[in-house]
Amino acid sequence: MAGKTGDLGRIRELSDIERKAILGIGDSEKSFEEIASEAALSIDSVRRACAWLAEKGFAKISETRSEKLFLTAAGKTALEKGMPENIFLEVLTKLGGKAGFKDLMEESKLDVQEFNAALGINKKKAFITIVNGVIEETGVAKSQETFEEQNLLESISEGKKVEALELFKRGLVEKKEFIERKISITNSGKAAREILSTQKVSREFDVEAPVPELFLGKKAPYVQFLNQIRQKLVALGFKEMNAPLIVPEFYNFDVLFQPQNHPARAWTDTYHLKQPRFGVLPSAEKVKAVKAAHENGGVSASTGWRYNWNEEIAKRLMPAAHGTAHSARQLVEGVEMPRKYFAIARCFRPDVLDATHLIEFNQLEGFIVGDDLNFGHLLGMLEEFAVEIAGAKKVKFIPDYYPFTEPSVQLSAKHPEMGWVEFAGAGMFRPEMLKNLGIKGEAIAWGIGIDRLAMFKLGTRDIRDLFSENLGYLRKAKAVML
Amino acid sequence: MPTLDVSKKDFEKLVGKKFDEQGLEEVLEYVKCEIDSVDGNNLKVDCKETNRPDLWSTEGLAREIRARIGKEKGIRKYVVGESSVNVFVDSNLEKVRPFIACAVLKGVKVDGDFVVQMVQLQEKICETFGRKRKEAAIGLYDFDVMKPPVYYKGFKDNEIEFVPLEWKVPMRPSEIISQHEKGKIYGWLVQGSAVYPIVMDANKMVASMPPIINSNATGKVTEKTKNLFVEVTGFSLETIETALEVMCMALADRGGKIYSCKINYSKGKIYPKTFLKTPRFLTKKISFEKALVEKKTGLKLNDAKVKELLERARYNVKIDAKKIVVEYSSCRTDILHPVDVIEDLLISYGFNKIVPRQIKMSVIGSQLKEISLFDSARDACVGIGLQEVLTYNLTSKEIQGKNFHIDEQFVEIANPVSLNYGILRKRLAPQLVNFLAKNKSELYPQRIFEVGTCLELDKDAPNGVKQTTNLCVALSSSKVNFTDIKSALVSICNYLNLKVELRRKEFPFMGENCAEIIVNGKKGFIGEINKKTLENFGIKNQVALLEFPLN
Repeated sequence: MAGKTGDLGRIRELSDIERKAILGIGDSEKSFEEIASEAALSIDSVRRACAWLAEKGFAKISETRSEKLFLTAAGKTALEKGMPENIFLEVLTKLGGKAGFKDLMEESKLDVQEFNAALGINKKKAFITIVNGVIEETGVAKSQETFEEQNLLESISEGKKVEALELFKRGLVEKKEFIERKISITNSGKAAREILSTQKVSREFDVEAPVPELFLGKKAPYVQFLNQIRQKLVALGFKEMNAPLIVPEFYNFDVLFQPQNHPARAWTDTYHLKQPRFGVLPSAEKVKAVKAAHENGGVSASTGWRYNWNEEIAKRLMPAAHGTAHSARQLVEGVEMPRKYFAIARCFRPDVLDATHLIEFNQLEGFIVGDDLNFGHLLGMLEEFAVEIAGAKKVKFIPDYYPFTEPSVQLSAKHPEMGWVEFAGAGMFRPEMLKNLGIKGEAIAWGIGIDRLAMFKLGTRDIRDLFSENLGYLRKAKAVML
Repeated sequence: MPTLDVSKKDFEKLVGKKFDEQGLEEVLEYVKCEIDSVDGNNLKVDCKETNRPDLWSTEGLAREIRARIGKEKGIRKYVVGESSVNVFVDSNLEKVRPFIACAVLKGVKVDGDFVVQMVQLQEKICETFGRKRKEAAIGLYDFDVMKPPVYYKGFKDNEIEFVPLEWKVPMRPSEIISQHEKGKIYGWLVQGSAVYPIVMDANKMVASMPPIINSNATGKVTEKTKNLFVEVTGFSLETIETALEVMCMALADRGGKIYSCKINYSKGKIYPKTFLKTPRFLTKKISFEKALVEKKTGLKLNDAKVKELLERARYNVKIDAKKIVVEYSSCRTDILHPVDVIEDLLISYGFNKIVPRQIKMSVIGSQLKEISLFDSARDACVGIGLQEVLTYNLTSKEIQGKNFHIDEQFVEIANPVSLNYGILRKRLAPQLVNFLAKNKSELYPQRIFEVGTCLELDKDAPNGVKQTTNLCVALSSSKVNFTDIKSALVSICNYLNLKVELRRKEFPFMGENCAEIIVNGKKGFIGEINKKTLENFGIKNQVALLEFPLN
């Protein structure tokens, strides 16, 4: 629209600042500073406005380039303390007109580069000779000649124009380029000025022009993702369990039938607390039941692991290493029949933070208890997860191992874009656990490492972005939609 | 989870069948293995079974797979000859490392694959099944340089010395423990005992000091070795016999012939009354109701099918009108309950042949009560234009304590990977200030918040740790002040319908304008962060913030 209304249209598009600037240019060439004081605008605003006016053909910016010499840091030192070659000669004279390299360098306090330059220059001018590693004055040096460079440095520091190629090469002097810009009004600028100063022209916006960005207030992308996962689970009929960060080993390992000398309980595979060290176990009855499961299978038809189970080890506190710790607590506290449970659990393992490992991460974890659940139901549940949560088109079930489930299975899901992904681990809770805790029926348990799916939904290949420390990244992040 | 080096050709030779890439992946699923990486013929295979040492070698994988693909069935039988080697066990080891089990393997063909697999199996058994050599340590020797009978006896430090493997001079046990590489790693297993366990032959030549090191004289198996002597020591006969049998099976699968040794125990409290001939290759039995199969699997299978599926998992099977009785190798220490057998049946059947079933359960889902509050708090913050950030719970005393001029105790990790992550945060505020410090080059004003868990030592709380979910808001620009942050507090609390009270109070990390806030009885703080705290984080702009527990 704007372009079609001709000159008046283009004039209408001018912003307030551009209008002030165009009136400030006047008829002769002006600098930005002059226009700024004329139009009572900041220098930055004038620069921007004039650039736009030039772009639109209302003004013209001419540039004059010029070069100027400046002393470098080394040049300033030389001006203050004297040129290295002069110092070199002075010290040599002080040392009796004869000296070794090392002595002269130490005494003159020149660095290697300066010393080498001074040596070269003095030798070239035949002020010195070098015989068998000894530097000797020749007597050729005259004081006037040696001050030539010193005088040049002084002139440059005073801003005088001189030829100083040699000093430039030696890094004592540098060149800087200056661009001087002057603004003049064009004919269409004059016409615009005429209209603007005689009529009231309201502003019209270029609808296609870029505008300044606003930073929206928003939730962290990973929180958006986790909230939607939570909604999904609730919609599938699951009840959320508590997932505290700190648990006794009892829930992380013992209830889950992991023998106390199992390699997975090694010091290096999980964190332990320095303080507080020990937590509280549930009722003596439940502790006895877990002890029996380990030692002889208890009331289940199992032999158990046949060793002496130690209550003190079970009391040790740790940050939960897997979400199943919370399912374990729910089993101990008691379950409703039938019921579906889930938790979004923060888990901690001693990994080093990198693009594929977090020092703490989230697991989606849960189980279903009921009277007549079997392995076919377990696979049915996993298939539902793969479709509902990951949007998978195909699934594959692979035999797996967990200390607390038998049978155990891994779910691989084929995502339309990610390809085959190990999506979940699952199984039927072992009878040693259920029978001894007095739970009738069967429980099918599952755990999903949701962080990989989160990375995909957030469009990142670096897992650290889930906990991004970069405000710019968060400000630009798009809404997450499951 | 043991990772195994497997040569594909060697594996195929032992199975008796060639596999393409997919076929190999599929048969490895039978043994819960995944290919981790492929380098030409060399595979790295992750074995997820942490309780089945019989699988942790190419021989073991091939043995199981031969049955799963129908080439063999039932328990594999091993013929054991008699070697006439006697082993005498001294009762002075009863409290140190009491048991030993031994065997002789003759006619082994030592080649490259053999040595790799033998050493690998020995190491995996000792580390994982043997709990880092504590429960089982294996010694392998060139039998032809030993003169039977063999003695397993304890010696005091000043009674014995020998040249350990990879060493040139004789050493005393205490010297081996303090100086030898293996001694430093495993020495703690015998340190402080009255005597050191020693295996020696009739000529008093030391073969090894279990569970630490072999002697240089007998302990090297080379390509010239034809006959092997194997011993396993530990604390339980069942464990060490399993380890011995697993080694013997693997060696026999490569053509070695197994000969037993006669273990003669002295009189002792825990020692058997008569001698034992090892390896015994005992079997175990477990029985269960037929109905259990359908109950657990949901599959209707006839007796013949059940028998076939279990035989393919190397069980010998008997089925009568009501019961299934299976017999299996005693090396299957993972079988504790009938469900372990049923999993094997399902694996033979094939997980992907089972039709998934829908769970019909009329239950209502729900989220934790407090989630609504947390999420409304987020909504309020988003509404006033704040960006949510997430910081880790794991952090450092420097950020939480020193930089905030707070001298307090924190919930602390005993074995942190790095001191930067040595404690769990008590407050969100230091983490958000730290976040601002990392974003000084981003445009200001910066207005952020976090809703996150915080931990505090508290004797009255369960497990001595109080966990709350806090809300923290931080505003930063060149001129942000108390009024700005108080406006945020008031608007947020109004929206959440929370009563809020402010009382002037000093905080070591705040300037003059600060206060304690009490939101629904829970204490928090609000104000302008002081200059010396900001300097600790290298921040030049002003920061005003608030924090209080939501629950």
